[in-house]
Amino acid sequence: MSEKGKSLWGDAWLRLKRNRLAMVCLGLVVLFTALALYGEVVYRYHDWKDISPAYQKTNLDLAYQAPSSEHWMGTDGLGRDVMARLIQGVRIAYKVGIITSLIAIPIGVILGCLAGFFGGKVDDFIVWLYSTFASMPGLLFILAIAMVVPDNGLLGIYLGIGLTTWVGLCRLVRGEVIKHKEQTYVQAAKALGLGSGRIIFKHILPNISHVIIVTFSLRFPAAVGTEVIMSFLGIGVQGEPSWGLMIDSARMRLWQGMWWEMTFVTLAVFLLVLAFNLLGDALRDALDPRLND
Amino acid sequence: MISNESKVKTLLKVDGLNVIYGHKKEAVHAVKDVSFYIKPGEIFGLVGESGCGKSSLGKAMVRLVDPASGRIGFKEANVAQLKGRALQEYRREVQMVFQDPYGSLNPRMKVGHAITDVLTVHRIGKNMEERRERVTELFEAVGLEPDWAWRYPHEFSGGQRQRICIARALALNPDLLVADEPVSALDVSVQAEILHLLKELRITRQLAFLFISHDLAVVRNLCDRVAVMYNGEIVEMGDVSKVIDHPQHEYTRTLLAAVPSF
Repeated sequence: MSEKGKSLWGDAWLRLKRNRLAMVCLGLVVLFTALALYGEVVYRYHDWKDISPAYQKTNLDLAYQAPSSEHWMGTDGLGRDVMARLIQGVRIAYKVGIITSLIAIPIGVILGCLAGFFGGKVDDFIVWLYSTFASMPGLLFILAIAMVVPDNGLLGIYLGIGLTTWVGLCRLVRGEVIKHKEQTYVQAAKALGLGSGRIIFKHILPNISHVIIVTFSLRFPAAVGTEVIMSFLGIGVQGEPSWGLMIDSARMRLWQGMWWEMTFVTLAVFLLVLAFNLLGDALRDALDPRLND
Repeated sequence: MISNESKVKTLLKVDGLNVIYGHKKEAVHAVKDVSFYIKPGEIFGLVGESGCGKSSLGKAMVRLVDPASGRIGFKEANVAQLKGRALQEYRREVQMVFQDPYGSLNPRMKVGHAITDVLTVHRIGKNMEERRERVTELFEAVGLEPDWAWRYPHEFSGGQRQRICIARALALNPDLLVADEPVSALDVSVQAEILHLLKELRITRQLAFLFISHDLAVVRNLCDRVAVMYNGEIVEMGDVSKVIDHPQHEYTRTLLAAVPSF
């Protein structure tokens, strides 16, 4: 009983702060988040005023201009500013990452908890369910769902990615819950007459929340990557500057030396994915309760 | 051995209890046809080597394990058959303290909240204010600073954690506490403090104990009566001085011979 107690989250933050690479990645994530929010504000503002935003205005006189002081990342084939579109791309990427997580994470966590805690027939059914989902090739499955969804736009992507990527998390959560339910604190809670729901969500879940946070930070860039691929293939975003569409349009004149659009967009994808992945790894180390003593 | 058993006022009476894990071929018969009784306010010891089934028996008492057959009589009810609300009522009467004080507390929950949570579930106390007061009382009862209630488990020592576990078990005001090796994970000096606390609680709260242990010295010091368990069966039972000083069964003698001080 030394000084005033710190919470476990406080401890984790101290450990994370010591990791310099993780802090750089966290800085990048914060930067991307700020850009996404800025993009959303710009988008909302133009939507509200009912005017066409700058990043959508075509001006063929300005097509394919190399980076300059006026257009830092140059312009694309229709004379639109690449940087403004890139920032709007961050907005789309974040939307995809967050909304698909809001679909996939609750499904994975709830099913994983139920399977792990109750075992028996419930477990058999849920394991069968996720094995079935896991047995189908991911991208094909996502494409199939996106095709079925009528509004051929972002909604298809959200549902497609969201409904297929809960399997890994479900498996992880199930394993963790099985591990925890044998621990004495859960046994004690049962002996004290606490209900199953309370034990699962109030007692076990906070102990495995690190799994969920790490999974989020790893699946977020994966979802962004999938969106880029789908938009590139022409099944995803339409009419909005998604990174996938930008890569698709940039490849047309790449061989003529119009390198800037392709370079900056792929660089943005690369940095976002790298930052989230490295941060996820660092979080896993920082949050793992087994390291606490 | 237990000649006038029927005349004694009993708190808990177990008859022909069996606990079996697994199914058919892989079945393990952990507790075999065990019968005993505990009087109100009595400390009843249960000794035996590890794996003899004493923990399974303790868990069956609080229905963490469902008995395969037999009767657990507690205030006219057969605990072995209780369900739903009746089982919930029973949980208020019989509580358990576990061996491992490090694993018994949720590491992500402040220890005071672990207790208010139990009070909330059993609808004890009208509001959070009253429940917090109850936590203060319980902490004082087990010899802890009430201010410490709003800290996380990792800030406490093993002995302090075991006190918290006892406070949590007492939150429901039970008549019987199943203590499954409550001191064997602690330092000897801390052991003595916890045992002293148990003795004190027995007097102040008229609490009865089913005290499970492999440590004969502790059992002799603490218990009124003792049962010796071997391979899932109770082989000898009686007053603690009689069993330890004049063991009748071969296994009890072996057990005693294994401890240098006896």
